[in-house]
Amino acid sequence: MRTATLILVAYFLCVVLAAIWRLVPLGIARHAIPDIGALTAAYLGLTSRKNLAPAVGGAVVIGYLVDVISGGPVGLSALALGLTGLVARTIQQRILVRGATMTMGFSGFIAIVAAIIGFMIRGLYRMPNASMATELKHVVLCAIATALIGPLVWRAFRRVDAAFARTHRERDAALEGLTP
Amino acid sequence: MLTLRRRLIDWSLTGLLVLIPALVLRSSLSRGTPSGFDQALLRITAPLEAGVSWVVEGLGGLWSGYVALVSVERENTELRAENETLRKQLATMTRRAYDVAALEDLATVKKRTPADTLGARVIGAPLSPQFRVLRIRIDRGEREIQYNMPVITSAGAVGTIGTVYGDYADVKLISDPGSKIDVVVSRTGNRGTLVGLGRPDSYACKIDALEHQTAPEAKAQLGDEIVTSGKNGPFPPGIAIGKIGKLSGDNGLFQEVEVDPAVDVSRAGAVMVLLAPPPPPDPDGKIKKKSDPAFGGKPQ
Repeated sequence: MRTATLILVAYFLCVVLAAIWRLVPLGIARHAIPDIGALTAAYLGLTSRKNLAPAVGGAVVIGYLVDVISGGPVGLSALALGLTGLVARTIQQRILVRGATMTMGFSGFIAIVAAIIGFMIRGLYRMPNASMATELKHVVLCAIATALIGPLVWRAFRRVDAAFARTHRERDAALEGLTP
Repeated sequence: MLTLRRRLIDWSLTGLLVLIPALVLRSSLSRGTPSGFDQALLRITAPLEAGVSWVVEGLGGLWSGYVALVSVERENTELRAENETLRKQLATMTRRAYDVAALEDLATVKKRTPADTLGARVIGAPLSPQFRVLRIRIDRGEREIQYNMPVITSAGAVGTIGTVYGDYADVKLISDPGSKIDVVVSRTGNRGTLVGLGRPDSYACKIDALEHQTAPEAKAQLGDEIVTSGKNGPFPPGIAIGKIGKLSGDNGLFQEVEVDPAVDVSRAGAVMVLLAPPPPPDPDGKIKKKSDPAFGGKPQ
C-alpha cells in the first residue's frame, strides 16, 4: 500500500511537472527536466525494508508510467528505473540521505546514474542516440534540475512514509529521513 | 533475518521484475506502436493529465496576464521613448520629403521657363483669422531680386515681389487687392485685368472688364483657363493664373468673372522668381548659316 501510494504521488508529480515545464520561460531550462522517476526509484530502493522486490517493482511501475506519459519506447524507463532502484538499494547501507545539501547531491547523483543506465540500455537495444555532447548536456541539465527539486520530492515521499508509520518512532524516523 | 529461502524468492522476484520490462521493451521496439494495455492506461490517465494541464496553464495565464507585469511597464516606457524618437525622425523625414518635392517643382519650372529665374524657399506665411495666407516671405533679398518681379511655381503665378528688405522679401499674392495682372482667357483670347479680391476666407480674384464677344461660344464660361497675356506687366505670356469659378455679371460690353487661382499658396514650399523676361525670338533662327572658318583665308 505504501509503495502504491508513493507511485501515485510520483505519477501525479510527473504530470504536474510536465504541465508546468512547458510554461518555463527560459529556453535552456526546458531541456533541464527533473527526473522524478529516478528520484522515486532511488527513494524506494533506499527505503526498502527487508524485501527488495517491492521496491524494484514500484520502480518498474513508475518507469512504465513515465514511458506511457512521455511517449517513449515502453519499457525503457521501466527497465532503467528498476536498475536504478537496485543501485539505490545497493548503496542503502553506506549512505544516509539527510539534510538539504545531501539530498540535493544524492538526487543529482541518482539522476546521472539513471541517465547512464538509460544510455546503456539504448545502446544495448541498438536504439538511436544523440551526439555525445548533446547527451552529456542533457544529463548535466537533468541532474541539476533533479538536484534542485529533489528535497521537495523527498519531503513529500517522507510525508507518505510517515502516514504509513505504525508507531510514533517510525513516523519520526520517516520524517527525519532515517531509513527504517 | 531473512531465511535463505525467502531471500532466494526475493531475488528471483526482483530478477523477474527487471526481466519483464526488458522483454516489454524488446516487444515494444519490434511492434512500434503502443499495445492495447498501454492505450487503455493512456485512456485512464489522460483526463487527469488534461485536468492538471488546464489548471496549471490557467494559473500560468493568470500569472503572466495579471501579476507578472513588472517588465511590461519597463517595456512600455522603452517603447514610448522609441515611439517618440521615431515620431521625431518621421517629422524630419516628412519635412525633407516636402523640401525635396518643392525643389523638384522648382527644377521643373526652371526647365520649362525660358526667362532667367532664381529659386527661393518660402520661410514664412502670415495667416488671416480665417487661416488664409496673406503674403509669403522668401529667403531672397536686395542683392538678388527687385520690386515687382514675378513669382511663380510649377502650377502657375503666385504674385509679384512686394517688399524687399535685407535678405528677405515679401511676395504680394495675386489675390491681394493691390495686385493687377493683364490676363487672357486661353480658350477665347478675351483680355482683361485680374485684380485680387482680398477676401479673408478665400484666394479668389476677379476680372472686371473682360472683353466681350458677340458669338455665344466666344463668351467666357465656367472652368475656362486664365493665363497671363504678357502685356502691361512683369509676367511673361502663358503663365497659368487659374480657372473661372464664377460668372458675376455681363453688361453687354464686358463680362465680370471670378477666378480661382491655380496655385495653392498655403502649400508652396519653394517658388521661382523671374529675374528677366525671356529673350525675344531670333528672326534668323530658322536660317542655316555657315560659320566662318577659325583659321586660314576665306575662299574666293
